[in-house]
Amino acid sequence: MLGYYLRLALRSFARTPGITVLMVLAIALGIAVCVMTLTVFHAMSGNPIWWKSDRLYAVTMDNWDPSAPFDKKQPDLPPPLMTYKDAKYVAASGVPLRKVIMYPVDATLSGTGAAPLRISTRATTGDFFAMFDAPFLYGGGWSAAAEDPPQPSIVLSRETNDKLFGGSNSVGRTLRWNDHEFRVVGVLDYWFPRPRFFDLIGGSFQPPDDAYVPFAWGPALSLQSAGNTDCWKPETINNQQDFLASDCVWVETWMELPDVATRERMQTLLDNYWAEQHRAGRFPRPRNNRLTDVGQWLRDLHVVDNDNRVLVGLAFAFLAVCLINTVGLLLAKFLNAAAVTGVRRALGASRRQIFTQHLVEVAILAVLGAALGCLLAALGLAAVHHMYAAAHLGQRGGYQELTHFDTVGVAWAIVLALVATLAAGLYPAWRVGRTPPAVYLKSQ
Amino acid sequence: MNLHIRPILSALLRNRTGAILVAMQVAIALAVLVNALYIVTQRIEKMGRPTGMDVENILIVQSAGFTAHYDLKSSIQQDLAWLRSLAGVLAATPTNAIPLSGGGSSQGLTIVPGDRTKNDSFGYYEVDEQGLDALGLHLVAGRNFRHEEVEPPITLDDAGRFVGNVILSRAAAKELFADQNPLGKPVYDTLGKQATVIGIVDPAMNSWVDSEHADWVFYMPRLTSALYGGVRYIVRTRPGERDAVIRLAEAHLATSNPDRVIHFVRPMTYFKDLSYLGDRSMGIYLLTVTGLMIAVTCLGIFALATFNVATRTKQIGTRRAVGARRADVVRYFLVENGMITSAGVLAGCALALATGYYLSLEYALPRLNLYFLVGGVLVLWATGQLAAWQPARRAAAVPPSVATRTV
Repeated sequence: MLGYYLRLALRSFARTPGITVLMVLAIALGIAVCVMTLTVFHAMSGNPIWWKSDRLYAVTMDNWDPSAPFDKKQPDLPPPLMTYKDAKYVAASGVPLRKVIMYPVDATLSGTGAAPLRISTRATTGDFFAMFDAPFLYGGGWSAAAEDPPQPSIVLSRETNDKLFGGSNSVGRTLRWNDHEFRVVGVLDYWFPRPRFFDLIGGSFQPPDDAYVPFAWGPALSLQSAGNTDCWKPETINNQQDFLASDCVWVETWMELPDVATRERMQTLLDNYWAEQHRAGRFPRPRNNRLTDVGQWLRDLHVVDNDNRVLVGLAFAFLAVCLINTVGLLLAKFLNAAAVTGVRRALGASRRQIFTQHLVEVAILAVLGAALGCLLAALGLAAVHHMYAAAHLGQRGGYQELTHFDTVGVAWAIVLALVATLAAGLYPAWRVGRTPPAVYLKSQ
Repeated sequence: MNLHIRPILSALLRNRTGAILVAMQVAIALAVLVNALYIVTQRIEKMGRPTGMDVENILIVQSAGFTAHYDLKSSIQQDLAWLRSLAGVLAATPTNAIPLSGGGSSQGLTIVPGDRTKNDSFGYYEVDEQGLDALGLHLVAGRNFRHEEVEPPITLDDAGRFVGNVILSRAAAKELFADQNPLGKPVYDTLGKQATVIGIVDPAMNSWVDSEHADWVFYMPRLTSALYGGVRYIVRTRPGERDAVIRLAEAHLATSNPDRVIHFVRPMTYFKDLSYLGDRSMGIYLLTVTGLMIAVTCLGIFALATFNVATRTKQIGTRRAVGARRADVVRYFLVENGMITSAGVLAGCALALATGYYLSLEYALPRLNLYFLVGGVLVLWATGQLAAWQPARRAAAVPPSVATRTV
């Protein structure tokens, strides 16, 4: 029976090729626009460490100006970064399973024979790698003993290792980092969490850093943050000691708290520390110490921006127009051929059979539309990717990282095609089945 | 002129499914068209704001010393001397940050020392006496910095030092001094240290194109320090010579000083384009999808009109046979289509206003401007009539003899 319906459908397409092409095109365009938008939206709203995102918490404390919140648009939130002294204090706690304080610095790598390389380095404590599941290709991180005083240990990204050492195992090799001799202790494998949840400042979709060194190197060499440094308090800052003791925020702090009990103990610890400092005249704003899990952190820092929500709405409005259009065309087409249907009904075809027959025809259109839609979406995303990549002059990072047509896109296309078939085909197929056969058997 | 609305309407109501579908498309298309165009207009305005700078002819060099032998002052002097000696270069200045790039420094300024009632923050740039020329800024009042006024770079031991003179953007001056003449008046940093306003430039922009006050900016006569990611040079060339200078600078600076590394040499347009990339792609995307949506809607109108003509061939023939002129037939179909489009447009107005209200509420976009609604209605109505024109003409071509034939 299905074979017969397929033949009927093909014959129907051949009778009205123009309208068939228009319908396929409308479905394809609607699906393509939706798939493009959803691909970007999906990549943007992803949680790149979902498997432990409810154990990882960003630590923030509101040390800001008594007369104004850090962010006027989100007055309830503390600054996303911490002061040096507060970060050092909370990171000294034994409560969390793992803890990281860190900030990005600009640095120069030399002494490898290759031309000096300007790179971004993360000055971080050693738990970084295990806590954020950064994969090692060679070697490993450094122990807590290497932190204080800081040992000249460096971990390279795979890209940096490729550039400097041609991809070979460079563990044990030495190089100069900001003109100090460092020993390579580890090389990371390719790693590009999108969004870069552990540091969203300076772009949510920037690649991770080129190298990692023990945190204390940053303050020891008086290296300023390559990310944000925000100050509110009129303080005389004349030297590095003044700066480290100031109320400027520039250190990002994360903790791994494996269960509710640990989290509550950490919250209590923060609140006690706050109370003690508050009595001493610090923290002039109301108490607002936060442990924020990854999901909430991504929301608080607006990784998915409003433009993209608007675009998702637009894409579905467009799909709706395309589908309504297809319903209209199908209806016109089916009713135009109602005389044939009338003959089939008179010869004994049931309403149900007529319905199925027309739905098969719609299903073919949907399959064609989905296939063409996939193609258009892939082309569209490639064009958008090209536009972004051109603006970045070939550097990685930014929205170009979100424009890859992948299995998610195909899955969306299939789902949308199914929805499209049902939405667009049901009513016309049902309607044509209800035509009384007698009308069409009369000669006019 | 009698449009015969009653009979057309009653015919329409007998066969309403197709008409309702088309009206729905028109409604959604109108709502999207109006709101999309409104958003796009705002983005175009934002991208078109005057920067005051000769962005097209500026290149940026970012460098950083990294050895113990590196001497900031002599290195800057050496680089500047070479850059300024190039034939195509008009002016060059060292600076702490790249305007329009999204990265930079800002600080509070007040006209009363220690005033904590305002938290205004102003983007600032450390430049030398060629700074304004290198950026291509226009001095509208006062004077430029003099060579001898350029102060030595801050170091780790006096990072809180302020400067003697500053030049403000007009917007910054207006925020601080309202309508008073700012020239010769003091401004204070957050610690109450004083500087004198010696000049006003207009227009000007700081590093953050998305900030509420992208035109709040001031300039300090000071050699930049290497504390914040190295030394940057802003180099302005004669029109058309930028790319040649970029190539020269890349080749020469890479090897001229072994104690520092050149991070990049890039046109300033790179930074501006990147900062506006989101707005630009949003605009392109909105326009493309809206255009497609109007096209699909026109297709729907066209298809419905064609279908109506095809199913009514006999009736048209009969009308023609009993005396209707071709023009009457064309008018019939255009009026019918006009009624459908009008219904859609009417519903679309409500939908557009609701969407605009939702967007303004949810995404803090400005409330929809009603001129856009009027424009959108006219556009959709006109394109709707155009789409129905060809089928209506085809209907008029039906000969009266059709009425006398059977099947």
